[in-house]
Amino acid sequence: MNTLWVVIFGTIVIYLAYNFYAKRIDREVIQADPKRATPARMYTDGVDFMPASRNVLYGYHFKSIAAAGPIVGVITGVNLWGWSPSILWLLIGVSFIGWASDYSAIMVAVRNEGNSLSAIAHRLISPRTRTILFLFIFFYLLLIAGAFVGILAPTLGARPDVPFGIFVLALMGLLAGQMLYKMKVDLVVVTLVVVVATILAMALGPLGVNLAKAPVDWSQGPISGAIVAINKSVDTAGPLYTVVDPTNADPRIPAPGADGKRPTTATYDAATGAIKVLPSYLLWAVFLLVFSYLGANLPIWRFAQPVNYIGFWITGLVIILSALGAVLAPFLNPAVAAFKAAAFKGFLPAQPTGAFQPLWPMLFVTIACGAISGWHALFGSVGTARQLEYETDGLPVGGGAMFSENALGLLSLTAVSISGGAGGVAFASGVGRLLNVGTFGALPVGYGTALGFGAFVVIVLTVTQLIFRLMRVTLGEWLGEAWGGFKNQHVATVVSMIAATLLLLSGTWVYLWQLFGASNQLMAALSLLIVTVWLASTKRNPAFAGIPMLFMYVTTMAATLVTAYNLYVTILLRPSLSAISVWGAWAMIIVAILLFATALVIGLDGWQAYVRYRSAPPRAAPAPARARG
Amino acid sequence: MAKDPQTPDPKAPRGMSRFFRTVREITYGMAAHDMTRAALRTRASMEHLFILITMGDLLGVPILPPYYSMRLLPYVVPQISTWKRRMLREKDATDAIF
Repeated sequence: MNTLWVVIFGTIVIYLAYNFYAKRIDREVIQADPKRATPARMYTDGVDFMPASRNVLYGYHFKSIAAAGPIVGVITGVNLWGWSPSILWLLIGVSFIGWASDYSAIMVAVRNEGNSLSAIAHRLISPRTRTILFLFIFFYLLLIAGAFVGILAPTLGARPDVPFGIFVLALMGLLAGQMLYKMKVDLVVVTLVVVVATILAMALGPLGVNLAKAPVDWSQGPISGAIVAINKSVDTAGPLYTVVDPTNADPRIPAPGADGKRPTTATYDAATGAIKVLPSYLLWAVFLLVFSYLGANLPIWRFAQPVNYIGFWITGLVIILSALGAVLAPFLNPAVAAFKAAAFKGFLPAQPTGAFQPLWPMLFVTIACGAISGWHALFGSVGTARQLEYETDGLPVGGGAMFSENALGLLSLTAVSISGGAGGVAFASGVGRLLNVGTFGALPVGYGTALGFGAFVVIVLTVTQLIFRLMRVTLGEWLGEAWGGFKNQHVATVVSMIAATLLLLSGTWVYLWQLFGASNQLMAALSLLIVTVWLASTKRNPAFAGIPMLFMYVTTMAATLVTAYNLYVTILLRPSLSAISVWGAWAMIIVAILLFATALVIGLDGWQAYVRYRSAPPRAAPAPARARG
Repeated sequence: MAKDPQTPDPKAPRGMSRFFRTVREITYGMAAHDMTRAALRTRASMEHLFILITMGDLLGVPILPPYYSMRLLPYVVPQISTWKRRMLREKDATDAIF
C-alpha cells in the first residue's frame, strides 16, 4: 500500500458516492427545488438569514467543520486497529452516513424556517428533547475540551520547538485584530505581516538544533533550549502522580523501538506502564487554558477570529503541500510513500492490562469526524442552513464539505501510516516527509516535521479556544436562570475550564477521547433521528437517514457502555493506581452514564414520534412558498 | 421570479475567470466569511438595541412614543420588519453558540 492508492481509492469512492447516491437522494427523497424559497431569502435580515453564494458557503461550512477530529481520531484509530479498518470506515462511513448527516441536517432546517435542531426536535418529537439536548451538548463540549487539551499539553512539553510559534501566534492574533479593526489596514497587508511572522516564528523554534541526529538534543537551540530549561526547572520535584493508559494511545507513551519494546522516558515508565504527570504537563495545560481564556472572553474580533484567520493560512498551506506530496511521493520518492503502519491488528487487538477494545463499536467512535460527526449537524442547521440561497445548493455545500473533510481524514491517515509510529509524533513526522516531497525537497524533513507539529497544535488549539467560548455561552444559557453568576462570562469560563482540567488531569486520555467520539457520534445519530422523524411526518422514505441512524445509535450506545466498562476494569480494579486516577475514572463513568441515559430518553421519544407519524393518515402538503425575486 | 440556478446566466464568467472566481469565493468563505458575519452581528445588535429603545412600543414594550421617536421613525422604517422578526424569533442555546 502506498499514498497513491489512497488518493485513487478516495477519489473513486467520493465520486461514486456523491454522483450516484447523494444526488439521487437529493433529487428523489428530499426533492430539492431551486424555486422554493429558502429561509435566507424569506427572512433576509442581513445578519443570520442572508443568501450567500454556494462557493462561499462551501468554504465557510468546510472551515467550520474541519478541525482536529479527522486528525486525532485517525491517529488513534490507526494505532489501535491498523490502517485498513480505519480507511474502510472513513470511506464507507462518509459515503452512506457522513454526507447524509450533514446534508439532511441542513435541509431539515431549511424546510423548517431555519430553526435549530433542538427547536425542530421540540416541535416534532417532544418538549423535553430540547432540554435534554442542552445537557447533552454541555457534556459533549466538556469532553472535547478535555481531550483536546489532553493531547496538546504533552505535545508542547515533548516538542520544545513548538511553544514559541504558538506564543507568537497569540501575539500576531492580537496585532491582526488591532490592525484590521482599529487601524483599518488592508486585509492583504495584515495577512502578509501576521502570517509571515507566525510562520517565521514556527521555523525559528528548531533553529540551531541538529534535527538529523536522533535523539534530538533540544537544548542546543536558543529558543528550544530556553523551553527545555523552563521544563527542567519546573520538573525538578519529579512527577506529581501517575496514571495509566491500558491501550497505549496516550501521547506521552513513546512508540516501540526496533525491538518492539517501548523505552522508558521522562514521562513513561516501561516497567510498570505508568505515565508520569509532570509539573511541566500542568504548566503547558495552563498555557493552553490562558490562550483559550483570551479566545473565550476577549471580543471575538480582538483575538479568536484573527488567530483562526492566521491558523487557516498555516494549516491550509501545510494541508495543500502535504496533499501534493501524497500524490507525488510514489513517483518522486517511493520509500516515503510506502505504508509502514500495521494494516490490521485484529478485531479484538490485545491491550495491556486487559482493556477491551473491540473493533465494533470502538473504531466507529474513535474515528469520528472524517466519517460522520454530530458537530457538523449542529453547525449546519444553525450556521449554514440560514444562508443557503437555493435548496439545490444544500448538497454541494453540506455533502461537498463533508466529502472534503473525509479527504482531510484520508490525508491524516496517510501521514500516520507512512511514518509507522504512534500519536501526534507519527502525524507530524508523516507530514514532514510529505512536505519534503511536496516542496520538491526544498523543505528539509526535520523542518517539515517541526511545521507539522506546529500545524497540528494550531489546528487543535484554534478549535479549543472556541470550544471554551461555546461552553461559557452554553453554561450561561443552561444554568444562568438557576444562578445569575453563570451569566457572567468570566465565571462561566473559569467553571468550564476547571471542569475540563479536572477531567483531563484525573482521567485517562484515550477514554476521554473515546467518550468524546461516542458523544459526537450520538449527536449525529440524534440529528439523523430528527431527520428520520421529519421524513416520516412528511410521508417520505426515511431509509437513507433512518438506517444510518439505527447503526450509529446502537454503535455509540454500545461504545459508551464499553468505555464505562473499560474504566471500571482497567482503572478502578487496580488498587495500585493513585486516588486521582480513581476519581477521574468515576467522573468519566458518571458522564458516560449521563450520555447514555439522555440518549436513551431522546431515542425513546423519537421512536414514539416516528410511530405516531407513520400511523397518521397522510395530509395534503401545503403548497411551497415561492421565492420572490 | 427567482433566478433559477440551473439556467445558465449569460453574464456569468466562463473558463478561467469562472475558475478564479470560484477559488476566490471558496477562499473568502474559508478565511473571512465568519469575520464578516461577526461584524454584521455586532452592527445589527447595536441597531436593534437602538430601535428597541426608541420604538419598543411596536413590540409591546411600554415606551411612550416621544417626539424624537417620531422624528426617527422614517429612518427606522426600512428595518422594522427585520427587527421585529429577529427580536421575536424563538431562540435557544444553539442559536447563541454559533
